[in-house]
Amino acid sequence: MWERLRDWVRERREHLNLFDETLVARQDNPMYLLGPLLYYFWLITVVTGVVLMIWYEPTTAGAYTSIERIQREVPLGWLIRGLHKYAADGVILTIILRIYRMYFLGEYKKPGELSWMLGFLGLILAMISGITGYLLIWNQRAFWAAKTVLTVPVYFDELPVIGRMGFGSMIAYIFLGGPAIGQATITRFYAIHFGISLVLLILIEVFFQRTRRKRINMSLLPIVLFLAMLVVISYILPAESGRRADPTRTPLPILSDWYFLALYQYVKYTPPLWAGLGPGLLIGYGMLVPFLDRSKGRRPLERPFFFVVGVMALLYFLAFTTLILFNIAVIEREPFIIMNLTAVILVLAFLWELRYRRRQRTAAPPPAPAAGGAAGH
Amino acid sequence: MNEASSTRVRRRGFLKLVTAVPVAGALAALASPLLRLLKPNVPKFDLLRPTAPDTARGEAIVAASLSELRNPWDFKYFVFTQRYPQYTPQGFKTASVPGVAVRLPYKIRLPLDWAQAIGKEPPVRESDIIVFSRICPHLGCIYNYVPNYREVTAGYGGYVPPPQRQHALMACPCHLSIYDPADRDVPGRVLSGPAPRPPRTFLFEIRNAEIVVTDVEPGGIA
Ligand code: FES
Repeated sequence: MWERLRDWVRERREHLNLFDETLVARQDNPMYLLGPLLYYFWLITVVTGVVLMIWYEPTTAGAYTSIERIQREVPLGWLIRGLHKYAADGVILTIILRIYRMYFLGEYKKPGELSWMLGFLGLILAMISGITGYLLIWNQRAFWAAKTVLTVPVYFDELPVIGRMGFGSMIAYIFLGGPAIGQATITRFYAIHFGISLVLLILIEVFFQRTRRKRINMSLLPIVLFLAMLVVISYILPAESGRRADPTRTPLPILSDWYFLALYQYVKYTPPLWAGLGPGLLIGYGMLVPFLDRSKGRRPLERPFFFVVGVMALLYFLAFTTLILFNIAVIEREPFIIMNLTAVILVLAFLWELRYRRRQRTAAPPPAPAAGGAAGH
Repeated sequence: MNEASSTRVRRRGFLKLVTAVPVAGALAALASPLLRLLKPNVPKFDLLRPTAPDTARGEAIVAASLSELRNPWDFKYFVFTQRYPQYTPQGFKTASVPGVAVRLPYKIRLPLDWAQAIGKEPPVRESDIIVFSRICPHLGCIYNYVPNYREVTAGYGGYVPPPQRQHALMACPCHLSIYDPADRDVPGRVLSGPAPRPPRTFLFEIRNAEIVVTDVEPGGIA
């Protein structure tokens, strides 16, 4: 058992492909620029982040003012901050796109399981880093986002057996460093925000030192081009600081960073325990997809069920984001519709999968053309 | 030869074990104070027991004077301060609980059953004044008292109250939970939105024409 696990890991590790560094041949395809781009954006984020630490003051009283000072007074402060923010957005965007690419092209199949899982974990860590990062600005959005996010685990204590241990409240307490958001919270978030990126970067560097692979597998042109793009964006769309956090007043409407918006709308629709469990299940699905999907083919239509789930995830992400941007939610009506719709689509997708597989089995003798024909439906 | 190597392997395994046990023990010993550092209220060596809730002490303050709440639906915001025992230089940490005192058009039985659990007897049990904590029982935002119910329909997710509820409501901007402060059976009843329960309430008494709040229902993160 132990031996098998070790062999499994060894084999996957040899095919580990964190930043698409082995796919040199496809450099002309922008979808395969995502890997190196991810690493590149990440590097920019870390470097600018370290520079920002010089001026940033992690205290409840000084955080907001120090950010304002960076933006207004520090020479080129706006640029450093803009690069930090937009490169971080770039990291998240490239991870998301890359995960979708890997999903739809079946790149998570053997021997890519480990690459996929690490990529997915990367997305989660990047999002945690994002949410801990924007509390540091200490503006209204940051404050309330942190507050709601950290109340979610408290509801885990309602779960039957495990709930009684009180781990939910403990998680909240550990992150908050007390009964409410305060100085301890900033300190802890600062440590987490900084720790995630830097520690991961060091681990990745060690990995690349040992395997002697290339990290940024791009020509010079995209490197310069994307940096210029970040500079231009930070110039025309300076990173905003919003209003200073006010613990006695919740703004209306309240919006988080773009990658949390859909989740935010979802939280409006569901009872609070599910607000935590839902994303948890989604993460679980993401991590386990390589083992759930036992189909043979790699192309999207060769595994209809998983294809539909992926498309739905994408559509819901976009739809929920739009809904929250316009502050639309009729809570008595919509969850019911959405749930039923989802159930129906999943069942249909499942039937589609069954039918597809049956066809493939009956058309087994000449496999190649039959697969192509069936996939056309 | 074969035998010799197999004994050697066994000896190596033994040595490994001999080193691993104290290392693992040391790590486990390290983990305990680390967790206690992160959450000081965990008792020593008792990491797996349910964590003791951090019991807070509040300071009685005047929430409003009766003259400020003369007419039905008048309200007044206030902030109640709670102290929690902590390993900080001060020995405590404070958290503020914003509250709202509301005058209702009729008397209701106040939902103060929680008072026994913290060993207090509610001084007022039935009143047309009710004092809520403004911490939304959903995910902890501060919700608003909305005197005009139409505003709830416009800004808080399109909830249209039925005729008998077309009066002041309470609404949370974060995920659009809406509460009715004047529901006769369940004051603060959830009318819409994801909130699992009505807002928490305060114990209060009337002293010299002033509403003095003394305690707030425990639970939730401030
Ligand atoms: S925090 Fe008030 S509705 Fe979610």
